[in-house]
Order: sequence, then structure tokens, then C-alpha cells
Amino acid sequence: MVTKTEETQLNRLESQVEHGGGGAWDYLCLVRKLKVRRSDKVLKYGLSILNDPKKRSGLGAEEWTLYEQVAIAAMDCQCLDVAKDCINVLQKRFPESKRVGRLEGMLLEAKGSWAEAENAYASLLEDNPLDQVIHKRRVALAKAQGNLPGAIEFLNKYLEIFMADSDAWRELAEIYVSLQMYKQAAFCYEELILAQPTVPLYHLAYADVLYTLGGLENLQAAKKYYSSTVDLTGGKNTRALFGVCLCTSAITQLTKGRNKEDSPDLQSLATAALEKDYKQRASDKVSVLASALKSLKVSS
Amino acid sequence: MGLGFVIGAFGVMILAHAAYTTIQYRGLLKIMEEEFSGPPMNVVVELLLGLVLCMWAALTVPGKFLSIHPHSDENRIVSLPANMDFMIFNHRGKAFPSGMDMKLKH
Repeated sequence: MVTKTEETQLNRLESQVEHGGGGAWDYLCLVRKLKVRRSDKVLKYGLSILNDPKKRSGLGAEEWTLYEQVAIAAMDCQCLDVAKDCINVLQKRFPESKRVGRLEGMLLEAKGSWAEAENAYASLLEDNPLDQVIHKRRVALAKAQGNLPGAIEFLNKYLEIFMADSDAWRELAEIYVSLQMYKQAAFCYEELILAQPTVPLYHLAYADVLYTLGGLENLQAAKKYYSSTVDLTGGKNTRALFGVCLCTSAITQLTKGRNKEDSPDLQSLATAALEKDYKQRASDKVSVLASALKSLKVSS
Repeated sequence: MGLGFVIGAFGVMILAHAAYTTIQYRGLLKIMEEEFSGPPMNVVVELLLGLVLCMWAALTVPGKFLSIHPHSDENRIVSLPANMDFMIFNHRGKAFPSGMDMKLKH
């Protein structure tokens, strides 16, 4: 999870590294810790550290972590030669390692030789049938080939064994949303909210799915979840504020005014918060916001 | 850390001194054969001062307070981590190679 403070720190470090202020290693560590996908930058700065023998030996045992990080970033940027070189170095250092075997499988994936990658993963799974990361790679492999039903099947099998893996639940939810299977996606998000009730983004995603499903009950539930997102973020999430407005407008349309609304203040508070936020951060867009809210008939 | 620790130690010393003074005072009362009705004024002042100093030190020395509000900057989650375990490589970046000409030199 990336909190606001960490995001600020990451952006600060990123601009510092970009302008040659040093701190590349700290930046790479932070990227790894926060699990953000900045492959181009990781490749650039990671390689510059790896190509400098003095800096590289200063890392000690962390050097191999960096090789792995750069290898994955290189695959993501389609610099397959770099990835191959990194994997060769790791292979020389750690022969027989499963983790390097996984990287080789990923390299095959990046090349697009799906069958060979599948074989590599299958042989790795034979040695250790409960390797979570390999199972996840097989899901990704199916996804990469556009075989989304296959990916769903793999993920469901995986989640039967590792039910506490929220990342996998999230992935499943996102695949379902991309296939417009909203009921199933809603189930996954419910599972996520149960597992981590304090993450506002799950509430938000669940509310989005409920809003998309439509129907009076779902809309009312969506509004509640948008409100809980607002509650958890202290009203700093613009999407949730818009969600409250949209839900209110949709509910009013469905019930044609005769709704037994229990919190009539909610939408006026949300519009007020939105207006304040826009005035602060994008004052030239205030008029756009006003007309958008007017078209929703919520800014009475 | 240094200053807070010194102040805390001073506070504990004042408390110890207050205890010592009280014991002496009771000994004096026994000699004078009077009833103990309450601690003398200077002991009360010492106790209060010691309490304040110890409390201040206990609140500052161990470290900074962290926010428990879910919407504070330290706790507010603004983005979820990219699901790197499920990362796939045939995305649109594949069609636009970055043009970086980089090699691992050894």
C-alpha cells in the first residue's frame, strides 16, 4: 500500500535522481518496497549502478536483489539482451535456484514463447507444487495470451488453496471487471474489504462495481461505500465525492423524487467539498465542474 | 533524546528527594510527638515538579507520536501497489521500444 507520505517521498526522490542529485539506490529500494511499476527508470538507474564496479561492490549482498529487479524491469521494457545478461550473472552465482528459474521462465514469456514458458513453470511446480509465485505466473501467462477464462480458472484454483492472498483476489476482481462480470467482481471486492477493511480503495472499487450493476438497492449500497471511502480518506478522494453525487442523482431519477432518503445533506456536502477542492487545485476547471454538477441536478 | 533524558533523570531525582524529605519529616514529628496531618509544602511542590518533568520526558524520549487517523498523510492510502506478481510483458510498451541503448558491461 502506498500512503500519501510515501508517494510524496517517491516523487521527490524520482525528481532528485532525474536531475542528477544522486540517491539512485534509495530510489530503487523505495520502488521495490512500494512495489510500483517504474520499469524504465529502474532499468536506467539500476543499470548505471550495475555498470559501475565500485558502486556495485558497495551494495554487498543487495547486489543480487538489484540484478533481479533490473532483469524484470528490462523484460518489461523489452530490453531482452539486458535481461538475459542479468539472468546469466544470477545463474552463475546461484545455480539450481528456483528464483532464477522463475526469471528464466519470465524471459521466455517476454520473448513470447508461451509453450516453452509453460513447460518451464510446470517443471518448477513439479519440484515445489506450492510455490505461490509460480502459480501466479501461470495466471499471468494465460492472461498474456488473451486467455482470460483460463486465467480465471487458474486463479480460482489458486484461491482455493491460498485464500488469504489479497493481491490475487484483486487480480481476479480486475479480470472479472474487464470481462464485465460485475457480480463476480463484486464478490471478490467483498472478500477484499473483509480482509482489509481500512483500505479506502477497495471500498471505492466495490462501490464502482455496485454503481455499474445498477438497480435501486445496489445504488444505495454504492452510495454507502462511496461515503465510507470519503470517511476513510477524510474527503480527499475526488472519485468518491463524484460517486456520491452520481449515486444521489441516479437514485433520485429511479425513485422520481419520492425517496425516503436518510441523509439529504450528503450530496450537498459532497458538492461543496468538490467545489472547494477544485478551487484549490484546478481553479480554471471550476466552471466545468459546476456545469457537470448542474447536469446531474444535484447542485440545486 | 539527550535533553529529554537528562530532564527525566532530574525528575526522578526530585521524586526520590521528596520521598527522602518525607521520611525525615516523619522522623522529626516522632521526636516532637506530633500527629502526621499531611506532607509539608516543599514536598508537595517537589512532587508536582517531579511529576511534570517525568511526564514530559516520558512523552518525548521514546520517539515521535504517529497519527492514528485513517485520513492523515501517513495513513491515507492513495494507490495500491502494482500487482507485480501478475505482470505481463506484451503490453503497448512492446510496440514502442524505449530506444534506450543499454548494455550490461562486465
